[in-house]
Amino acid sequence: MHHVVLERWSRQASPLHRRDSRAKIVCLVVFLVAVATTPNRCSPYILGYALLPLCAVLVGRLPLVGVLARAGIVLPFCAALGLVSLLTGDVERAAALAEKSYVSAMAVLSVVGTTPMPRLMSGLESMGVPRFLLWVIQFLHRYLFVVSEQAQHMRLAAESRGLAGGLRVRKWQARAATGALAVLFARSYGRAEGTYRAMLSRSFTGRLQLLVPHTFDWKDGLVLVLGVLVPVGLRQLMVLDIWRSL
Amino acid sequence: MHIPDGFLSTGVCLATGAASGASVVWMARRAQAETEENRAPLLGVMGAFVFAAQMINFPVGVGTTGHLMGGALLAITLGPASAIVVMTAILVVQALVFQDGGVLALGANVFNMAVAGVLAGYLPYRLLARAGGRGVAVFTGAALSVVTSALLAIGELQLSGVKMPPAILGVSLALFAVSGLLEGAITLGVVRALGALHPGWIRNPPGVSRRRALAAVAFSALLLAAGAAWISSSEPDGLEKLAERTSIASRARALVPALLGDYETSLISTPWLSKAAAGVAGLALVFGLAVWIGRMQTRKKGA
Repeated sequence: MHHVVLERWSRQASPLHRRDSRAKIVCLVVFLVAVATTPNRCSPYILGYALLPLCAVLVGRLPLVGVLARAGIVLPFCAALGLVSLLTGDVERAAALAEKSYVSAMAVLSVVGTTPMPRLMSGLESMGVPRFLLWVIQFLHRYLFVVSEQAQHMRLAAESRGLAGGLRVRKWQARAATGALAVLFARSYGRAEGTYRAMLSRSFTGRLQLLVPHTFDWKDGLVLVLGVLVPVGLRQLMVLDIWRSL
Repeated sequence: MHIPDGFLSTGVCLATGAASGASVVWMARRAQAETEENRAPLLGVMGAFVFAAQMINFPVGVGTTGHLMGGALLAITLGPASAIVVMTAILVVQALVFQDGGVLALGANVFNMAVAGVLAGYLPYRLLARAGGRGVAVFTGAALSVVTSALLAIGELQLSGVKMPPAILGVSLALFAVSGLLEGAITLGVVRALGALHPGWIRNPPGVSRRRALAAVAFSALLLAAGAAWISSSEPDGLEKLAERTSIASRARALVPALLGDYETSLISTPWLSKAAAGVAGLALVFGLAVWIGRMQTRKKGA
């Protein structure tokens, strides 16, 4: 599954994996803002921003083909809206939208792929995001695989009993599917209560702890400075259209 | 419906980000305060449930299937504050881990699907469930939640300069209407099945006085009318264009000296404000007509 692969990537060891999550989050936001605010007339150069996530992939020892393919998930939506822009005769906008979305997705992947989820959440918490929301996100991420697996088993069982999308919808089919969802809801609810009781028995104090606390050293500072200056500089070069004047 | 990065203008990103940021912080505090126990594990697992529920396909006919989106179901079972937190968590995980929706566009996506979507799903339930129409309330809420999220997404894209030709806009709106009906049917089915399994899971909304319910409906209708008038003020809609082409419009104008001609009142000079005012006046007219028909019906029944 997609999130399991990403989780495996984030648990590897590399110079980028060791960097402070807060520095990486700031760099990501600056990069995304630089890309989003680049004028559409710069569409021939926007792919140049990919240089930065590519460097991150290289330093973070992530599989290049995997990152490029996963970033392509955004392309169907871009294709749909790009087609709309093409129909209205705005080729420049269509190309710029697709490039911006793809490059942004690459950047997100390169940060999430080099930062384990608990560290990412802890970084966000120290930047002021409500702790309660971050807990919910973390629990959701942890139980995604378990509940999804259960849903897949139930789907398989339902299909083996003849529940398939045919030309005609029968009432019992719809009732069986809603019943399956209700059972999945009940099982998830029960699991959540059990989990909470188990956590309390392990003396859960209401706060999720990191095994290794955050440390911000000069290398993190260097990443932060480069991660802020390079995208801003690239944007400026594109806006000034420096390549055309050369 | 998940808007990726790069599509929204800076203004739209900032406005929706500020609105959803403030709402989520407020709702997270409310959800945390609602119960004595720490509800984070429960809300997290229920978020995972919505993810997983999207894997269970429903036969729609003609060989196609659809799936649950879950905003209204969460609001009805967990309450609106918790549902907003869970939907936000889902959208964050989708943006970070699944590249479904952008990180900068998260403000807009959270506003459309978590804040407005959940509230639109819960409002009819809150207003109608006690009045005996629980089934209608669940269905309407779920359908409204999907349609509201979709309309907001389209509106934000339009505001950001992504212009859609009227034909494509029409097709998209029709598709969203179908998804809304499907969401209504699925949510109603699941709520009924849940009620049979464990009635305690379905929240009983607090009683709402008829006057307050009416005020809430009137306020929502006013907002919708003013908003729609503002959006339509930028360019003529498909129906208007069709009317111009078939010359129906000129004939109609000659026949009916319209009270609210072309949705504008001549007393106000600002174009969008005058359209909004005319929209509201039209709404009041329709409301008065509906009240009159309702009274006539009840008189007939009483007689």
